[in-house]
Amino acid sequence: MDRNEFRDLYHDLRRGRITRRHFMAVTGLGVASAVVAACAPAASSPTPGPTAEPTPPPSEGATPAPTIDVNADWTPPEGVDLGDTLIMTTWPNYHDQKTLDRFKELTGVTVQLNIKGSNEEMLAELLVGGTGWDVLVPTNYTFETYGSKGIVEKLDLTKIPRFDASRYDQRLLSPAFYPAGSKDQYGFNKDWGTTGFTINTKQISTLLTTWKEFFERTQADLSGKVMIHDYQLTSIGSALVALGYSFNSVDDAELAKAEELLVAVKPHLFAITSDYQPAMRSGDAWMTMTWTNDAVQLHRDIPEIEYVIAADGGEIWSDFFAVVTGAPHREAAYAFLDFMATPKVAAQDAIFHGAPLIDSAAIALLPAEATGNKITYPDPASLTKLEFGTAELLTSQARADLWARVKSA
Amino acid sequence: MSERAADVELVDVTKRFGRFVAVERMNVSIARGTFYSLLGPSGCGKTTTLRMIAGFEQPSEGEVLIAGQPVAGVPAYRRNVNTVFQHYALFPHMDVARNVGYGLRQHGVKGEEERRRVDEALALVRLGGLGARRTWELSGGQQQRVALARALVNHPTVLLLDEPLGALDLKLRKEMQLELKALQHQVGITFVYVTHDQEEAITMSDVVVVMRDGRVQQQGSPQELYERPVNRFVAGFLGLSNFLAGRLVEHHPATGGAAVTIGEGMAIHGRVTDPEARPSAGAEVTVAVRPERLWIGRADDAAAERTAGATRVAGRVRQATYLGDQNEYRIETALGELVARRQNSEGGGALPGVGPGDPVLVGWRDEANLVLVA
Amino acid sequence: MTSGNESAGGRGRSRAVTALLLAPTSAWYLLLLIVPLIILLVFSLGARAPEGGYAPALQLDNYLELPTRATAFFNTLWMAAGGTMLCLLVGYPLAYYLATRAGTKRTLLLVLVVVPFWTSFLIRTYAWMTILGNQGIPAIAEGLGFGHIALINTPLAVMIGIVYNYLPLMVFPLYVSLERLDKRLLEASKDLGAGRLATFRQVTLPLSAAGLLSGAMLVFIPIMGEYVIPALLGGGKVFFVGNALVDLFLQSRNWPFGSAAAIVLILVILFAVTLYLRLGSRAGIQREVSIL
Ligand SMILES: Nc1ncnc2c1ncn2[C@@H]1O[C@H](COP(=O)(O)OP(=O)(O)O)[C@@H](O)[C@H]1O
Ligand SMILES: [Mg+2]
Repeated sequence: MDRNEFRDLYHDLRRGRITRRHFMAVTGLGVASAVVAACAPAASSPTPGPTAEPTPPPSEGATPAPTIDVNADWTPPEGVDLGDTLIMTTWPNYHDQKTLDRFKELTGVTVQLNIKGSNEEMLAELLVGGTGWDVLVPTNYTFETYGSKGIVEKLDLTKIPRFDASRYDQRLLSPAFYPAGSKDQYGFNKDWGTTGFTINTKQISTLLTTWKEFFERTQADLSGKVMIHDYQLTSIGSALVALGYSFNSVDDAELAKAEELLVAVKPHLFAITSDYQPAMRSGDAWMTMTWTNDAVQLHRDIPEIEYVIAADGGEIWSDFFAVVTGAPHREAAYAFLDFMATPKVAAQDAIFHGAPLIDSAAIALLPAEATGNKITYPDPASLTKLEFGTAELLTSQARADLWARVKSA
Repeated sequence: MSERAADVELVDVTKRFGRFVAVERMNVSIARGTFYSLLGPSGCGKTTTLRMIAGFEQPSEGEVLIAGQPVAGVPAYRRNVNTVFQHYALFPHMDVARNVGYGLRQHGVKGEEERRRVDEALALVRLGGLGARRTWELSGGQQQRVALARALVNHPTVLLLDEPLGALDLKLRKEMQLELKALQHQVGITFVYVTHDQEEAITMSDVVVVMRDGRVQQQGSPQELYERPVNRFVAGFLGLSNFLAGRLVEHHPATGGAAVTIGEGMAIHGRVTDPEARPSAGAEVTVAVRPERLWIGRADDAAAERTAGATRVAGRVRQATYLGDQNEYRIETALGELVARRQNSEGGGALPGVGPGDPVLVGWRDEANLVLVA
Repeated sequence: MTSGNESAGGRGRSRAVTALLLAPTSAWYLLLLIVPLIILLVFSLGARAPEGGYAPALQLDNYLELPTRATAFFNTLWMAAGGTMLCLLVGYPLAYYLATRAGTKRTLLLVLVVVPFWTSFLIRTYAWMTILGNQGIPAIAEGLGFGHIALINTPLAVMIGIVYNYLPLMVFPLYVSLERLDKRLLEASKDLGAGRLATFRQVTLPLSAAGLLSGAMLVFIPIMGEYVIPALLGGGKVFFVGNALVDLFLQSRNWPFGSAAAIVLILVILFAVTLYLRLGSRAGIQREVSIL
């Protein structure tokens, strides 16, 4: 599939001629997850998300009969007291302030953002309890822990009438079910994306294509100009990939190698941070481990910053909206989820954050610039080696301790 | 040597703070070994003068010489001059011995030699054995002595003392006055002593300079100042005086002799105390008469003609006060109220039977008339 | 004797009153100092629960694991000592100037020292990210032909942030002690033959030692617990024990190990403070402290 064919497909998708599911099947995105799943270690068997089964063929003609008018604006639920505040714990550069302002306009509810750098940070506070958080934006690999610990609640779908599972790719939605394969749903996709790296091509002329090169050149000509996440999942995972191992490895020997690599790289890093946009924008750093949405935002403002999905592998992910158990502003939380499940709203928001969407109805509403963005919707072939994070990584002591050691080294 | 060498000289020294003149054209020469006092009311420039000698202030004009050498530009720590500060300024973080030895250590005198000289200095001020005391454990008088020892231990050419007894109570002050005087005699160092207490200056000093508003009024021995004050300020600052307004009739500069009319044309004779003064006839002058120079007796005292003196005036006692060693009478006369004092010694003391309201006769000799032009 | 009994009774009563008056303070201390310390101690002997947090156990493993954090401890100690020293070197002349030379400008200058502290600590530190970033001082230096220098995310940047943020804590106690210093003592010293330097060494310095000591304490102790400045200006590379603690509690959720690290940090600070006081009292400073 060449570039033009791909572009056409996006257009079709946008115009609603094909389903999201069909798009994924055709582009190979589905294959990617299948391949990843096949490679995943056996230890991760209870992991929700990618299953070891081959991708089921897309059910032809399964275009869902929309239960709502996808072009309609959102209206708040009637007769429900939403209060005036909502606390959402989420990631940096991940929501269009206009979206939140619009929600406030419609409901009077102010959304307060609480920004974290890793799922582990969220977990640490949630385990202690009493966070006062309402909405969480967790990543696919967290649901098993959150579900089993009752940290997020089983969604009351009647309060999210604008959510329609049929508009979502089932594989990408499936991590939100706990226990895996059950009908109990704990979240729905906000978007998906990859963890690659961005490069300031003005400063770096010879492009890098792999994590191997990323870590090598960090220790060589790019010393002092590179950033990695303050996040065990992606930083250790990408180091593992650079060494030729699985992104999800918990093998002691492999982890030891990864630790060695990270400790060796550390003095050459500009910073270890999950909020890397400022340093890339200011030119302090030239290359950084990057999530899709940040890559889109950076590239949009500074065209010479290019995004690379590493050829040797890495992470593919999906983030979700979920409601924290015992949320102090539960009604507002559900209202917000319903708001974000509205295709028009999600599409508008995506134009800002740049991460690819999953809701086919929302995708269909995206303008051509968005769907044609190669960073948002990359060449599907580039996704084939990517892996979804596995549930055990969230609580793995080996990886947590490794990361803490690397940082204090 | 006919004239002793001067340890400190001030030549036409003026000190201005901004536009304010604190010391004006001061000329002073302090002979070696003198106990020299700067006397004057608060704010007259005494401390400023001392600070110029010590090196803490630079004269705006004129020159300061120490041991014959001009010291302009010589910093305080290079001048062989030490100061006993008004509030002692003892170092609170050092014991007595370390305070006293401070100056020695600055000059490289350390260890055994330092200890020996500190002990010596402490013995000199009668604080032997108190070297290990903390300064705040000492009484005011003791602190004063530490300050003294700390300055003297360096054998300075000149010792500057800025109201060193000001903070002590009267009894202690009197004791210390004598002791200081004796000490000065013993060590033979030139003392420049600042005080606003005329009695202190008179009892301790060899030479006193009286200052007012930054200007020297008069300089001389305590006796000269008391007996021949050159102006009304000095006469009033040192001891008590009866001041009588008068008009000069004639003046003989060679002898100082003068004729003056006071009151309703009463003619008296006296001396113009200021040898520089050349008042013209008819000038307004003040005649000062010390209270102890007044003779008083009963109005009908037959001996009055003989003993009362050339000037006599009748009056009436307004108040009689017993002062211990003296009796004081305030007498209403045609010349105004006059104060007379009689010593309570053999043949002196209270006039028997004379009390308030009684008529008396007051008289004095011509020598008692100090004619002041300014 | 009855009077003796009465006075004993009175003393007993007054002791009871004292205890009563101190009760809120004592409760406060118990609740906010002793109890957390005990919890820390208990946790430090425990194990990490499978998904993180604390699981009861009685073991010293967490303490035995501490050498892996030696770098963080070493960083913290030398940065705290160095930062205190730099604050002193910068703060002393400033305090001296304010106390002795500033004259009528003094109030204005004192206010200027405090003005930056009207904005939040975080905002000030973020501002430094820009100043020390490549568009800031390094760009100016490069423009002036000094070549490229890296500032942000280096130990130097963290040190600058530390000195900037803690300087007033050093300046104010110093200012107070220098302001109280009797200027006549300086004249007395000069009068006795000591030059400027000798006077400074023998009079000014020892008499401002109390301010110096409290300033050093006020600066040293919080730097030992610092984590925001290294996190923001050190880019996660200049790592303090405070950062290790944040990681252990808020990312890897290893509470027992974090507790052990925290306890050792407290011990290190206690040790340093004791050492300070010892040095202080040997230098005859303690008396000064009691005077001031
Ligand atoms: N540093 C100074 N700046 C301005 N005025 C001063 C200074 N030192 C002294 N003066 C003024 O000079 C005058 C004389 O002061 P001083 O020599 O201390 O008087 P005293 O005779 O009481 O010792 C006073 O009016 C005082 O206010
Ligand atoms: Mg004075």
